[in-house]
Amino acid sequence: MSRDISFTLNGQVVIVAVDPSTLLIDLLRDSFGLTGTKAGCREGECGACTVLVDGKAYNSCLMPAMKVQGREVTTIEGLQKPDGSLHPIQEAFMNAGAAQCGFCTPGMIMNTAALLRSNPNPDEHEIRKALSGVLCRCTGYRKIVEAVQIAAAAKQP
Amino acid sequence: MSDKYDDKRKMQVLVKERTDFLPFIRFKEAELAVAGQSVNRTDDPLKVTGKLRFGADYSQEGFLHGKILRSPHPHAIIKSIDTTKAEEVEGVVAVLTAKDLIGRNGFGAIIPDQPVICSDKVRFVGDGVALVAAETEQIAHKALALIEVDYEPLPAIFDPRDSLKEDAPKIHEKGNLLSYDKLRKGDVDSGFEQADVILERTYEVPFLEHAYMEPDMAMAIPEPDGTMLVEGPMQAPFTVRRNVAPVLGLPINRVRCRQIHMGGGFGGKEDSPIDLGCRAAVLAQHTGRPVRLALEREEVTIQTAKRHPMIMEVKIGAMKDGTLVAFQGVIYDEQGAYASLGPKIPPAGGSHIHSMVMMAGPYVIPNVKVDAYLCYTNHPYGGAMRGFGAPQVHIAHEQMMDELASELGISPLEIRRKNAFRLGSQTATGQVLDQSVGLRETLEACAKAFDWDRRSRETGYIDRERSKRRGVGIGMGWYRTSIGTSGDACGANVYVHEDGSVLLYTGITEMGQGAFTVLPQICAEELGVRLEDVRLVQPDTDLVPESGPTVGSRSTTLMGNAIIQAARQVKESLVEAAAKMLGVATEQVEFRNRKVFDRDNPTSSVEFKQVASRCMAAGKRLVGQGWWAPPTPSLDPETGQGNPYFVYTYSTHMAQVAVDTETGEVEVEYYVAAFDVGKAINPRALEGQIEGGVAMGLGYALMEKVVIREGVIQNTNLQNYLIPTALDVPDINPIILEVANELGPYGAKGIGEMPNIPATPAILNAICNACGGRVRSLPADPENVFWAIKEAGGPPNK
Repeated sequence: MSRDISFTLNGQVVIVAVDPSTLLIDLLRDSFGLTGTKAGCREGECGACTVLVDGKAYNSCLMPAMKVQGREVTTIEGLQKPDGSLHPIQEAFMNAGAAQCGFCTPGMIMNTAALLRSNPNPDEHEIRKALSGVLCRCTGYRKIVEAVQIAAAAKQP
Repeated sequence: MSDKYDDKRKMQVLVKERTDFLPFIRFKEAELAVAGQSVNRTDDPLKVTGKLRFGADYSQEGFLHGKILRSPHPHAIIKSIDTTKAEEVEGVVAVLTAKDLIGRNGFGAIIPDQPVICSDKVRFVGDGVALVAAETEQIAHKALALIEVDYEPLPAIFDPRDSLKEDAPKIHEKGNLLSYDKLRKGDVDSGFEQADVILERTYEVPFLEHAYMEPDMAMAIPEPDGTMLVEGPMQAPFTVRRNVAPVLGLPINRVRCRQIHMGGGFGGKEDSPIDLGCRAAVLAQHTGRPVRLALEREEVTIQTAKRHPMIMEVKIGAMKDGTLVAFQGVIYDEQGAYASLGPKIPPAGGSHIHSMVMMAGPYVIPNVKVDAYLCYTNHPYGGAMRGFGAPQVHIAHEQMMDELASELGISPLEIRRKNAFRLGSQTATGQVLDQSVGLRETLEACAKAFDWDRRSRETGYIDRERSKRRGVGIGMGWYRTSIGTSGDACGANVYVHEDGSVLLYTGITEMGQGAFTVLPQICAEELGVRLEDVRLVQPDTDLVPESGPTVGSRSTTLMGNAIIQAARQVKESLVEAAAKMLGVATEQVEFRNRKVFDRDNPTSSVEFKQVASRCMAAGKRLVGQGWWAPPTPSLDPETGQGNPYFVYTYSTHMAQVAVDTETGEVEVEYYVAAFDVGKAINPRALEGQIEGGVAMGLGYALMEKVVIREGVIQNTNLQNYLIPTALDVPDINPIILEVANELGPYGAKGIGEMPNIPATPAILNAICNACGGRVRSLPADPENVFWAIKEAGGPPNK
């Protein structure tokens, strides 16, 4: 029983038919080819599937696609500026060496984007708490925390 | 909660040319331009934008979806299997059982004892009994449910000690003891007679899951010429190829394996791609269509290799002053249902023999006896997991050292100072450590940076309620570079083009450890070009030379050496041409930063690309090949004496923890980890290995355990198999020391696995120091810590 939904995806309005059982992660990856959002566990534990919906971080593996009707969805692909230049968070992750295998990296970056939107100057504990919903097996989190600190400082006037 | 004495994190890189312990190192270190620099990873731009494609990100168009029907029983006979109903489902293209296989019905990294499809019996919950290929994943799932299998359950074995009993049911025809190995050095009986103190303890460690964030998958694509292409995440493309070929009934040169970037491996993707690759290939060969076989997270846990559980019985004898005189160990090493990476590849390859060799620790002990039993059980199987059998034995010997120190009234630092290896020491296998031994340097550097003297005095209660106690602990360790097999070797090809750009071919794979950055750094350094001038070709068995697997902390060293050789072969032509262009003798020619110049007169130079172009025009060879193997390993099968691995990396960790004595919760507050790595080719990437490895070791200490009941895993997803989050891991302070390896690229030795190994015992020792509770059966989760405190009669009073 499919139905058309309309939402804003990375700044563009899109209309697509979905089933009630379609999950947001699969809509993004399979229908839109936006494979930057990853499926690590499909039960909301690993955070690799994090996207922003109206600026807040959500596990797209737990969200029915129909729920984004009329809302703004941002994936990792939507973080770059239209001219292709990188978001300060992306620059910070590169320069801090915060990405190893890269699988959790989109999830970490999207959670960072949500954090800095609501708390532009977080302390270390606030950073770790905000990122505790994304699991990383490679880095031990140290350089990810540093990257967030660098990104926060970069956005200060 | 951070420690109030929290120093700002610092990384110290100490280039050691002379110490009190060492003669002047002969290695001449010129100033390096590319190697030794903390450059950004070459694939970073793809990672931070989400553009890096992992296996699951490739298009599924035209692919059939493969699924595996697994046994629900840990040990059973297959009486019959009926696939008719499954085959009738619309969209199902093939349902295969063992009778449909045309090649070898067996795969395995060392011994091919695991059936591609089980024919007569199943040996663990997870064993494959049928394969399905369908147009969609949902249809494949539907088909799985319609396959009817009639099992006759058999008595199952869940403890390696039970598998050795006379009347134990046979899991494999040849018996349940896969390997018995022994080490005999000196005479432990007379050693124990001499000893002033003897302690006996037993330590137990469980199955661990790699929990890499990217679930496994494989794609098999049959080419029109009959070649089978297998693509996917894989640490060992050549091992996958040499298994897929006989399973398909093809010669090796008709199978092609191509590595796709891995979302973590940690040793797990050394053999899971063999499993999925063989099964996807069989479906692809049968249907004539491309097949994609992808595992859900639960399937990864149920089906793929784990860290070997062990029961380790240790008896140690020492003199009053702490000098060790005798060490006796018995290891019951649980292999699980299939051989995977446990058994011996002569002389010292495979995880079991490695555990035996490492059992007594990095200490000078004149009398050592180890008996090590590798036993099949009806559990999932042990494979390679970061440390490959060394982490388990470190948990035993490092805790034992602390228990001994406590018994003797000596500090854990002093007892290690007394016994730790130095240059010229003899190991338990009788190997003389004749170069690159920085163990004591790591102990002293760590103690200094951690401020051991002060922190070890400031232990005890930290809150007014007298419920939380602080403690400190040391973990010391060593780990080999290379895998100890006689066939351990690496090949590399380097092609230089007339515009100065370079192609680099190696079979070493990227799983986040940074190989795709570090290996081009070495190549660029040797050729004197910039990092961005070198393009590493994606590892593909059709294109790259035999390289061995990306395991055993061997890649930077062995492949780095091969790359340098390859580059030097090309430089023969370049040097000859440049010498003519500059009008100097060939010995004068230097390469650096895209320039080729006269060493004595650097302003007299030409561009690298001009020299390359000149060679090309003159038909001179610009193709270089390198091949490097370590010195031949040796290990006597009767005595365990020999030189199994040619060089070791050394490390000391110190941890400060706070234990809540009422709940058993542990917080790791402060942590320092010092390493002798020979040479850091990319210090920032090396720090990344350290920080990530310590986090993994912390997980082993505090929270990780695959819970299995009657052969069925209870915690198959990440909700219940806990790994550390950003709130669990403290600031880790890494210290990098460089005691050059004469046989390594710019002095480097391995780093991939060393970091997690001493972390677990450092934390366990700190917990005991804090609260008196000694956890000998891991993990030290709140419940186990709570009971350990009770067993010790409550926390200390101070």
